[in-house]
Parts: sequence; structure tokens; C-alpha cells
Amino acid sequence: MATAKLAVIAPAAAERRPAFGRWPGVLALLPFFAVLLAFCLVPAAWVLISSKPADGGMWYANFAEILSSPFYRQAFGNSLDVSLWSSLAGLVIAVVGVASLRRVPGRLRSAAVAFTNMSSNLSGVPLAFAFIILLGTNGTLTLILRHWGWIDDAHLYSLNGLILIYAYFQIPLGVLVLYPAFDALDDDWQHAASQLGAGPFSYWWHVGLPVLAPALAGTFILLFANAMGAYASAFALTAGNVNLVTIRIASLVAGDIFLQPDLAAALAVLLMALLALVTAVNHWLLNRSYRGD
Amino acid sequence: MATERYHRGVVYLLVVLLALPVLGTLIYSLSERWDATVLPHGLTLHWYTTLWLDDRFLMAFWHSLVVCLGTLLLSTILIVPAVFAIHYYFPRLDRWMNILILLPFAVPPVVSSVGLLSLYADGPISLVGTPWILLGCYFTIALPFMYRMLSDSLRVINVRELVDAAHLLGASTPRAFWAVILPGLRKGLLASLFISFSFLFGEFVFANMLVGTRYETLQVYLYNMRNASGHFTSALVMSYFIFTFALTWMAMRISRQERT
Amino acid sequence: MSFVEVSGFAKSYGGNTVFEDINFVLARGEFVTLLGPSGCGKSTLLRCLAGLVSLDAGQFRVEGEDITYAVPQKRGIGMVFQSYALFPNMTVSQNIAFGLKMQKLAAKVVASKVAEAIELVELGGKERAYPAALSGGQRQRVALARSLVVEPRILLLDEPLSALDARIRRSLRQQILDIQRRLDLTTIFVTHDQEEALTLSDRIFVMDRGRIVQQGSAETVYTRPANEAVARFMGNYNLLGPQESRLLLGLDIDGHLAIRPEVIRLFAADDVTPGLIPATVMHSQLLGNVVRYQVEAKGVALQIDCLNRRAADLLSDGNRVMLHIAPEDLQEIAP
Repeated sequence: MATAKLAVIAPAAAERRPAFGRWPGVLALLPFFAVLLAFCLVPAAWVLISSKPADGGMWYANFAEILSSPFYRQAFGNSLDVSLWSSLAGLVIAVVGVASLRRVPGRLRSAAVAFTNMSSNLSGVPLAFAFIILLGTNGTLTLILRHWGWIDDAHLYSLNGLILIYAYFQIPLGVLVLYPAFDALDDDWQHAASQLGAGPFSYWWHVGLPVLAPALAGTFILLFANAMGAYASAFALTAGNVNLVTIRIASLVAGDIFLQPDLAAALAVLLMALLALVTAVNHWLLNRSYRGD
Repeated sequence: MATERYHRGVVYLLVVLLALPVLGTLIYSLSERWDATVLPHGLTLHWYTTLWLDDRFLMAFWHSLVVCLGTLLLSTILIVPAVFAIHYYFPRLDRWMNILILLPFAVPPVVSSVGLLSLYADGPISLVGTPWILLGCYFTIALPFMYRMLSDSLRVINVRELVDAAHLLGASTPRAFWAVILPGLRKGLLASLFISFSFLFGEFVFANMLVGTRYETLQVYLYNMRNASGHFTSALVMSYFIFTFALTWMAMRISRQERT
Repeated sequence: MSFVEVSGFAKSYGGNTVFEDINFVLARGEFVTLLGPSGCGKSTLLRCLAGLVSLDAGQFRVEGEDITYAVPQKRGIGMVFQSYALFPNMTVSQNIAFGLKMQKLAAKVVASKVAEAIELVELGGKERAYPAALSGGQRQRVALARSLVVEPRILLLDEPLSALDARIRRSLRQQILDIQRRLDLTTIFVTHDQEEALTLSDRIFVMDRGRIVQQGSAETVYTRPANEAVARFMGNYNLLGPQESRLLLGLDIDGHLAIRPEVIRLFAADDVTPGLIPATVMHSQLLGNVVRYQVEAKGVALQIDCLNRRAADLLSDGNRVMLHIAPEDLQEIAP
């Protein structure tokens, strides 16, 4: 019977031409997409769908509630504030740092880049703890600064403190993203500019920064989005007692008192919409600006 | 020269700035007391011995290792064949994949947690509170790094022709993949695994929101120790730093070797 | 029964025909070149023969056995790729041994066959080198050895010399031909280089826009092009349209006249032999042993190649000459 069976299968198998068929490829991709769907796409879609009030009502009722509530408006204001300033600070320090990194001898440069790479892992809870130890009420640096009479009290647990911590984790990220972008600058341009009588400042103002503008804008968006979505360090620093969008979202789904997943979803949708808007504006600006290609 | 001194100065300043919290934490973790005076008092390893003899810490460390290594195993099993399938069977999809894998970046963990909590809290698939849900979530965190690095490794070799050549010499597709393609991926895979490990090891949001103390990972333990002595938490933070620094350093070494 | 029979091969991608109506037969040990401009479908045809790309229609028989739907592994066909496709993670020896290992041969047999193959392509001493450490010519020979060592029934070569510089190309060409003759191996060689095709092949198949437009010996294809495309591709034929034919030669034809540049003979301007055509040299180009003249005769531009015998014989721009074109050197080509 086995031979009879084979005779039936063999022509069909030959017709399928397994060597060129693409079904093994589909098979290899299937589990990959299944997991990606289950843990990223479906949850994100769920957030979109479930943003309408759980107890009935129009789909926009939650959005209207958020936008009319001073409390939630303040959360968005604080998040924007912290993200904007920390991203700007991180970007400026990263630009100055990378510009110099590209001009120091190889050994020092690779060591510094390696250290930056490692310190990019300093974020979230451990970073918040390190800052508490350094700049908390009885932080080591606080003690020194107070001893010298530079400050009277620590402000780590305020919005300014958050900006400081956020800026800290933005710097390594900015350096790592911008470092390759500086390849766009030709060393000879600065030489040419100095031949024409331009000092370093004029060179950067007229040539360097305009050429880097797309990379700078892209990096800023990346840092900004990173800060808007950040949660761990703020949560660890203030135990949830600071009014940021991510803290609000988390407390509405995993807090101890008052759970409202649909309102959390609506907040999350607004957050993603804001990020999408910022990215779109960035794209639009870039398309208007000078491009080398 | 003045400009050279300036650039050196800036680089040193940058390094000091980035090193300050680490150094502060290090000194704090090694000192007996440092609360009212400018300089620390007494050098001790007491905080480290306390930490490393704490069962709860060791358990959390173990949990983190299990979740991270489990995720990396899962990610390798899912991503390596997928990258190969894209490059060999569907090369035109590569462009779209590069966009798709960035999606986990666009959705902050806090946001997807909202969806995950409602989807998997109860009902047919009840994963919330178990380490299993972290495997899936951490897969999405590791995905962009692993896919990009593996895809870059494959882009420099002509996958299609190498597999075709192996076919003509009598090898099946899986055999060709194993003998010819996989060896070229080894270093890229290793580097991306180390990088992903250090990222996953530092993950807090998913772990805290979806699982919490039911399967306490290192980060959640760290957070729950916030009211313990500052010296103790410093030792904890330093232990974590040193561990991830070592991993990142190894990842950099591997990827530098690959380039030469 | 022919050794290889290909009939009715056709392939299209999303409505674009890559090739169609491909028919040919090969004798055992024959060396055939598929010659054509890039994009004519010759490389895809080669991949279909190897089984790496599926066919839309057609039948492929080798030694009477239908292998149209056989997987690449079971066809007994070896192929050298344009990029060589050497496995970067394996040494020269390991690359060559790969196919033998797939056949699960004993290690001893593998070793002796590999050693033989390395000797055949003259790569002794490079056994442990990785492909990245080899020159282009050496890589090419490893690729050749790797496909030969498994003793294929047919060897396919996809522009194997195109990435090499001219000097190495010429010596490797000879080496490939020697090995092919020694092993009496049926070989299909794809190229867009007519010189390569002419020097290597028993027969040339000229491909144009997805069809084989002429099959024949090197001499036939070169001297008797079947149509305009072949004439344009082989050599630097002067192609005259109906109007130009009437102007220059007083002939009435429908298609084109093809005249090879080396068959036109030049005579002094004062020669009064009947049948000569007066012309003016417009431009000359010294190519070494050959001088190439652009001349104008009765309003028709022609290209003429002459042997460069003596410097005194060279003509300057503006010189007047007489041309002679023998009637047997005129070829009428279907439109």
C-alpha cells in the first residue's frame, strides 16, 4: 500500500516545486507576526477602540472630559514642559559634545563614545535613585553645594528636578544619534570658511548648523517622543506624585484607588496623537527646508 | 593649541557630567554614613554583603535573568528565521519591515500596558501577573535592535545567490540556512543579544504594571526598596550598573570585531 | 536523442515577458554561448535551467529524462554565478567540499576529490584561505572547482568573467575552455561580450528581447547575421536602410543591407576601375593594428576597418578615396 500512496503523492509534490515555493517563508514569518500582533499591534488597536466611555455615551465623551478638565490639561502641560526643556537641553549639550568629540584624538574619542554608550543604560528607576543620592534632600552634592552656600534647599522633586533627570538620560541618546550625522560635515568646509575670514561661530551659524538641521530636527523629535513617553524615572522619583500624562495613564489602569481604563485609553490616544502631530510637523518642516539630495 | 584644549575640555566635561551620578552612587554605596557632612564617613563593603545575602534580592535577580534570557531565546527563535525569510523569500518586504519594527517605539509601554491589561487580565488568555506576558512585551522591545542588526548582517551578503548555490550543490533550504547563512549571522546576533539584554534588564514599566510583586524582577525590587537605607539602595543600583556596563561593553567589543 | 532538449520555455513576471518560445538541443560535450545585451532574458533562462526560477511553460529533458519540475538539488546541474556566491564562512577547501558532503561521501573520498579539483584549477596552497582573502580570478576558479567537483551533467556559467580585468579574463577564458574539453562537459555560457562568445563556443545562441534569434557556429553568426539585432550586436556592421541602399549601390530592397567594415576595400582617388564608389574620409581612429575610418560616400556614412600596414598609407580627414564593395559581401537582412 505504501508504494500506491507514494505514487499518488509524488506528482503533486513535483508540481508544487518546493524549491521555488514561498510557503516555507510564510511559515517562518507566521509566529513572528503572531507575537508582534498579540503584544504590540492588538493592544495599540485596543487602546484606540476602548477610548470611548465604558458606561455608554458618545465616542468623544472621554476626550471632551479630558480637554475640559484643568487637572488633565495640567498633566499635558507638565509633560510638554518637561519634554520640551529636557530635549532642548539634551540636544544642545549633545551637539556641543559631538562637535568636540569629532575633534579629539582617536583614543580619547573612542573611550568617550564607549562611556556614553554605557551610560545610555542609566535610565528609569536606578537613575532616579542615583539622583536622589546625589541631589536629594540630603544628597551628597546637595550637602556640598549647601556647605558652599550656593543653594538653600534641594528641588529635585519638582518639575525642574524632572527636567534635570530627563535631560540627563537624553544626553547619551542625543550623542549616539548625532555622532554619525556629523559625517555630513566636510572638514574642509571649516578650513575653507576660515580662509574666507569666518571664525568658528560664523562657520557654525552659516554652514554647520544649516547642514545639520534635518538631523538636529530628527534627533529633537526622537528625544521629545522619548521624554513624552517616559514614566519610570518620574514614577520612581515622586512615587507617582507628579502630574504627568504617563503617570495619569498608569494610575487609571494600575493605581490603587480609582480605575478607569477607558479614560486611560483616551489619554493614551491623545498622547499618541500629539506625538504623531509633532512628527508630521517635523516632516513638513524638513520637506520645506534645503535638502542635499 | 587653544581649539584643541577647548575640544578636550568639552569632552572631559561631558564624561564627568555623565559619570557624576555613577560616582556619587559608588562612593555612597561604599561609605558607612554620609548625611550631614561634606565628606563621607568610613569605608565599608557592608551594604554589598547585606544586599548579596538578601534572599529577596537574589530571587529578583534570578527572575530578571529568567525573563531576559527567556525573551532572548524566544526572540532569536522568532526573529532569525523571519529575517532570513524576508531576505530570501520576500526581499521587497524589507522596506516595510523596517517601518513595522519601529512601531514598538511609537507606542510607549505605558500606552500598550493599557491595552494589555484589558486584553490579557482575564478571559481566555489570562497572562497578567505571570512572567509569560513579559516574554511577549520584551520581545517587542528587543525586536527593533535585533531585526536591524540581523538585517544589516544579511544585507552585506547575497543571501539569494548563496542559497541558490547551496541548492545546486545538493543542500535543502534549511540545510543551506544552517550551513551558509547562520554562520554569517553569529556575530550580529551575539551583539544584538547583549544590547537587548541590557535594555531588557533595565525595563520597569511593563514589569511593574503587568506583573508587579507576583514575579518581582530586579527593577521592581529596586523600586520597592525605595524606603530602605540610601546606602543599601546605592549598593543595589551600583550592582545593577556594573552588570549592565559589562554587558554593553561586551556588545561593543563584539560589534567592533565584526566590523574589522 | 539529444543530450539536452529544451522546448517551448517561457517565463513572464507580472505581464512582462522575460523570454518565450525558447527551443534548442545540445549534444554531449558541446560548449554553447547564450549571447545577448543585458536585459534580454539570458540570465533568467539560465536560472530556469538550474531550477532556481520556476518556468511558466516548456519542457526540459537531459539524457531523455524530464527534469522540468525537478528541484535544483536533483538536476545534476552545476552553476558558476556572476558574483561567484562563495560561502564566506568557509575556506577554499570547505567551499569545494560542500557539494560532496551533501552527497554524504566518506571523508577520505571528499578529501581526494577536493585535492584533485584544487589541482585542476591551479589553486594549490590556497586551501585554507577564506574567500575574502582571494583575488577576483582566484574566487572565480574556486567557484568553478566547487561546481565541477560534484561532476554535474551540465555546467552553467553566468557571466563568470565580467567582474575581472581584461588580462585575467583572457587567461581564465582559455583555462575554462581547456577544462571543459578535458572533462567533455556540456556547458552553457552566458555573456554579453561578443569576443568571449566567438572565441569560446562551438555554437552561439544570440538572444534578443526574450527570444533566441539565431543559433549557429561562431563563424555563421558573425558573417551571416539573421536579423538586424544580431547584426547590430555582432561586430560593427554598416546597416543600410532601403533609401541608403538605393543611394549608395542603386539596389532596391525591403529590409536592411549589412556590410561588415572590414570587407570594404579602399583604392586611390584617381583609380578608374569601373564599379568603384567615390568617398571622402571624415574621421579616422587608430586602434593599433587596425585603422577605423568614418567615410561619406554619396551621402551615406560608412565605417571601414583597414589593417594598419604602413604609416605612409594612413589617410587624413578630408582625403578623397574610392571604395569597392564585392556583391557577395552584401547581406540582405529581413526587417
